[in-house]
Amino acid sequence: MNATESVNAIKGGEFLIRDTPAASIFIPEEWNEEQLMIAETCTNFLAQHVVPNLNRIDEQEEGLMPHLMEEAGALGLLSISVPEEYGGFGKDFKTSMLVTEKLGAGNSFSVAFSAHTGIGTLPILYYGTEAQKAKYIPKLASGEWKGAYCLTEPGAGSDANSGKSRARLSEDGKYYLITGQKMWITNAGFADVFTVFAKIDNDENLSAFIVEKGFEGLSLNTEEHKMGIKGSSTRQVFFNDCKVPVENLLSERQNGFKIAVNILNLGRIKLGGATIGASKEIITQSVRYANEREQFGRPISKYGAIRYKLAQQVIRTYASESAIYRASQNMEEATEHMVATGMDEIKAKLKGTEQYAIEAAIIKVDASETLDYVVDEGVQIYGGMGYSAEAPMDRAYRDSRINRIFEGTNEINRMLTVDMMLKRAMKGELDLMGPAQKVAGELMSIPDFNAVDEEGLFVKEKKYIANFKKAVLMVAGSAVQKLMAQLGKEQEVLMNLADMLIELYVSESIQLRVEKLVGMRGEEACKEHLDMMRVYVNDAAEKINKSGKEALNAFAEGDERRMMLMGLRRYTKTEDLNTTQARRNIAAKVISENKYCF
Amino acid sequence: MKILVCISQVPDTSTKIILKDNNTAINNQGTTWIINPYDEWYALIKALELKESGIATEVHLVTVGKADVEPVIRKALALGGDEAIRIDADSTDSYQTASYIADYARSVGYELVLCGKESIDYNNGTTGTMIAELLDADYIGFATHIQTEGNTVIVQREIEGGEETDSCSLPAVVSCQKGVAEARIPNMRGIMAARTRPLKVIIPTEVVAVTTILSYELPPAKAGIRLINPDNMDELVELLHTEAKVI
Amino acid sequence: MAVIVLVEHTEGNIKKKSFEAVQYAANIAQKTGTGVTAVVLGTVAEAEMTALGQYGAQKVLHVADARLDELHARAYASALMTAIQKEDSKVIVTLHDINGRAVAPRLAVKLKAGLVAGALSYPDMANGFVIKKAVFSGKAFAFVNITSDVKVISVMPNTFPLQSIDGKATIEKLEVTFGDKDFGIKVKEVNKVKGEVSLADAELVVSGGRGMKGPENWGLIEDLAKEMGAATACSRPVADADWRPHHEHVGQTGGTIRPNLYVAVGISGAIQHLAGVNGSKTIVVINKDPEAPFFKAANYGVIGDAMEVLPRLTEAVKRFKETHK
Ligand SMILES: Cc1cc2nc3c(=O)[nH]c(=O)nc-3n(C[C@H](O)[C@H](O)[C@H](O)COP(=O)(O)OP(=O)(O)OC[C@H]3O[C@@H](n4cnc5c(N)ncnc54)[C@H](O)[C@@H]3O)c2cc1C
Ligand SMILES: Cc1cc2nc3c(=O)[nH]c(=O)nc-3n(C[C@H](O)[C@H](O)[C@H](O)COP(=O)(O)OP(=O)(O)OC[C@H]3O[C@@H](n4cnc5c(N)ncnc54)[C@H](O)[C@@H]3O)c2cc1C
Repeated sequence: MNATESVNAIKGGEFLIRDTPAASIFIPEEWNEEQLMIAETCTNFLAQHVVPNLNRIDEQEEGLMPHLMEEAGALGLLSISVPEEYGGFGKDFKTSMLVTEKLGAGNSFSVAFSAHTGIGTLPILYYGTEAQKAKYIPKLASGEWKGAYCLTEPGAGSDANSGKSRARLSEDGKYYLITGQKMWITNAGFADVFTVFAKIDNDENLSAFIVEKGFEGLSLNTEEHKMGIKGSSTRQVFFNDCKVPVENLLSERQNGFKIAVNILNLGRIKLGGATIGASKEIITQSVRYANEREQFGRPISKYGAIRYKLAQQVIRTYASESAIYRASQNMEEATEHMVATGMDEIKAKLKGTEQYAIEAAIIKVDASETLDYVVDEGVQIYGGMGYSAEAPMDRAYRDSRINRIFEGTNEINRMLTVDMMLKRAMKGELDLMGPAQKVAGELMSIPDFNAVDEEGLFVKEKKYIANFKKAVLMVAGSAVQKLMAQLGKEQEVLMNLADMLIELYVSESIQLRVEKLVGMRGEEACKEHLDMMRVYVNDAAEKINKSGKEALNAFAEGDERRMMLMGLRRYTKTEDLNTTQARRNIAAKVISENKYCF
Repeated sequence: MKILVCISQVPDTSTKIILKDNNTAINNQGTTWIINPYDEWYALIKALELKESGIATEVHLVTVGKADVEPVIRKALALGGDEAIRIDADSTDSYQTASYIADYARSVGYELVLCGKESIDYNNGTTGTMIAELLDADYIGFATHIQTEGNTVIVQREIEGGEETDSCSLPAVVSCQKGVAEARIPNMRGIMAARTRPLKVIIPTEVVAVTTILSYELPPAKAGIRLINPDNMDELVELLHTEAKVI
Repeated sequence: MAVIVLVEHTEGNIKKKSFEAVQYAANIAQKTGTGVTAVVLGTVAEAEMTALGQYGAQKVLHVADARLDELHARAYASALMTAIQKEDSKVIVTLHDINGRAVAPRLAVKLKAGLVAGALSYPDMANGFVIKKAVFSGKAFAFVNITSDVKVISVMPNTFPLQSIDGKATIEKLEVTFGDKDFGIKVKEVNKVKGEVSLADAELVVSGGRGMKGPENWGLIEDLAKEMGAATACSRPVADADWRPHHEHVGQTGGTIRPNLYVAVGISGAIQHLAGVNGSKTIVVINKDPEAPFFKAANYGVIGDAMEVLPRLTEAVKRFKETHK
């Protein structure tokens, strides 16, 4: 990649006002041989070490989870993107995403893995001093030490900066003494290293500290009893004048909230990857069951109602995945570009990720809700067996649910999506104003109701997506104008806008992916992919229409409202599509392959 | 000691066999390829163990196949091995395959050739023996345990109705099955090294095949099951006697 | 030009599967207008050898060297080569078992002959010399044509039902000059499981999977096997967990067996498992899950808890044996 290219690279959030050429995105069909081998190692690891032990894991058998982490560490899976000088493999972001995805099918193990390699390791890797990194990273990378992250408190969840934990300097100036209570701490039961957030004295903002298990004054509560991911250790961690050497302050005083936010950006997109890995596995199990289970003399996979579910599971998973790797590539390229122009690598990584924080929030919401849909229909396909604790859907269903809660609840992430978009516009980083005014102007002109008459596989969908952008710009632009500072309080409207942005981003991602894929493999080999794209974009139009309508009805009035509703209808109009046939085709493919095969 | 490990590429064990071209060929579209499990889990890992314990100096992997088998060889290299050799030929005839491997092995001179007890595609289990014959070497099949002592290889192996312990002097060919070693998962270090390990391609002097596969057939579907009430096992026994005639 | 067939024995008793091989050779001899010469190696009584006539052998070439009582594949091959030259044979038949697999490939190389390993059909000579064999561990069959002048065939045991005829084979001693490498393999120790039916040869097999819950329940499998005179087998996870010895593991990556009866208890019937057992003539599946895929591959099914069904089945077999003495 040359430098000029990435000057022109699409910025975070810019998808709303700018088109992306299909050739520029990364699609999972482009994994190279080495990456596929790594993926296979993950799959084999789960098959050999995790899946046969799921019950023991969920019973939290003493020592089992840390042992599994060590086994994963021995294979190198805990240090994919850790730099080589700290004992890692220095692989790119997409590869570490692929590992997260593959291990995402590992239920509670996946949570332990993600927490360790993400929030458990990255704060130190990204913000640590040389000495801190040299001391902690190699051991975390190998799995000898396990990591945890203590942000949430009984009184501070979504509002993370409001925590009550305090740190004060000891009289001899050698220690910070931390006092406070943290809750919902993943991996706490066996972690050796905790990144702990607390305010020093009466600071306004959090600071972060590296705390070792053995530091005086740290204690653990018992395991929480949870709905799902029962095998993941979750405990309260108490700090009672916990003695933390001053050199264990991470980054600068009051920089903790920044750290938390930046680590979350990464965590969100990674969570997307993990949930997609789980979705694929659930689809495979659903198809297998549907092919085996017979009722009324035929396998239930022959029934349209079941085929619909299978197709829908596949479409949503494929679409979410398209978005995840598109954004991952963006982050990676932005990072590479900054490194090429002289920035320190870690700084570049943080900046690169931050640049696409909007996309990360979108992906977190979309992929976690995709998994919830997939497991829900998985239970349904299994029927009574879906409700049995002896079949795999029970665990999958319960385990899925957490993903909409941690790494920022989906509500918080929806609000962030819109909030960040508008902030960037205010700061002049994104020119939303111009395009929004253009759309407003278009509303006044005579509409072009002509059907798309150009030929080409993607002409229609490209046009629809261009219209989706107009729909979002129209509703958002008018909301900002009408509600001004009140917008933040009109959360329902924010949710509507976020949903519109999500549908837009994911539609565009699946469209670009399929376009690139057809270029690689030809139309004949991509028939089902084309069907997936068509159905997804078609459904997105309906959803965008619905959300847009709700929002407009909430704040607009009179002629203006009527005009905008008309515009919305125009921007979400699609030609008739036999989605039933398209879904049948997609289902037929997975049914004949007896597994998720895209 | 130099060890040569024979590796073959086979369809993943979960592959459903689909025929094409009027049943004269297997439809490989969409097939996932794996290393023949006996080669990977036992022969290759045993060779690596011998190297790790200082007994073997070099471990080479050999396969007969066209360029499309290379991903599978690199998968094997990701587990270990100093270099791989691909003999550029397409063969379903074990005599031909064995001749190519033996010709190559002779040119280098290996003390020990390890292979799997059979490949799970054509299930012949004959290549190792043929290589031994071509190299004028001893062959011990169905090994469940292998150790070396100086110039001797000591092998526990399966025989009809039991096990025996054999030994012979090197060079020798041993075919491996369960027990010889524990399967491993390629680790990151190995995967990254796989790219840098040499993979040589050799054009063989042609050997004419002495068998050809004319066509294939799929097994007939079972006629349908007869369910027996679990409280009536006498009925089952009676049916096995009168209907199935197996007892 | 006689068809040569290698005959195996244990401690002087010729194995049933060797009769199958002789009969197979006789079929070819009949089609090609030649005879059958059986080669017997090691210590075997005359009466045993003469009886090979009942399966179509006219002649036995006997190499009465006691060293051949143990498998020495290279010596076996040398002996067979002597016999082949003497008879000017073009077709050589062995079994597709551990011994046959050590010998047939050596002969094929020495004779530059095509080899079909694990024949499931008599050769079709209308279109060349075409023999059916299992490939992909029983997921398909291939029809293999041997194009060389000389042909080597190893026959899958328990495939060709025996039909004895009246007949006696004449016995001739065969002198063989062995090479110095022929006895290169030293047998240090032999551990034969006495009294139990060997799995590869067994006509009846009772097999257990993870549904048996643990090794402590295998008494139920063993009781049934004992009552039936069957061998025992297991699925891969069972062997992996060391509930059962590894040689009992059947399937695509374990043994392939073709018994007359395969009783699968608490085995789900994964494709990899089926691959090793789908050549069984009759399959009985006992499983508590009516959706278990194995039922699709079975002739008889019992939906029920193995712990309850097995003792009942064992009792039923006992009653059957008493009434059918
Ligand atoms: C199993 C598990 C593991 C976890 N692991 C960790 C960990 O390792 N480390 C760590 O620090 N934390 C961890 N957490 C904590 C997790 O991040 C928080 O639970 C999460 O951020 C939500 O905070 P809360 O539970 O206080 O919910 P609340 O913030 O009380 O939210 C309750 C509801 O109110 C909504 N809500 C909150 N604020 C607003 C608002 N301003 N506008 C609109 N809606 C709002 C939320 O979306 C939610 O629906 C974990 C939690 C769980 C359950
Ligand atoms: C590369 C590869 C190679 C493989 N090779 C082989 C192979 O060679 N051989 C092989 O067997 N497998 C092989 N497998 C594994 C195979 O895929 C299956 O996992 C395995 O066969 C399952 O073993 P199982 O049927 O014993 O256990 P499970 O699949 O766990 O099935 C247990 C069954 O027992 C039933 N059950 C439970 N309790 C009871 C009860 N009380 N009474 C009656 N029934 C009960 C259950 O309903 C279930 O159907 C291989 C897998 C791979 C990936």
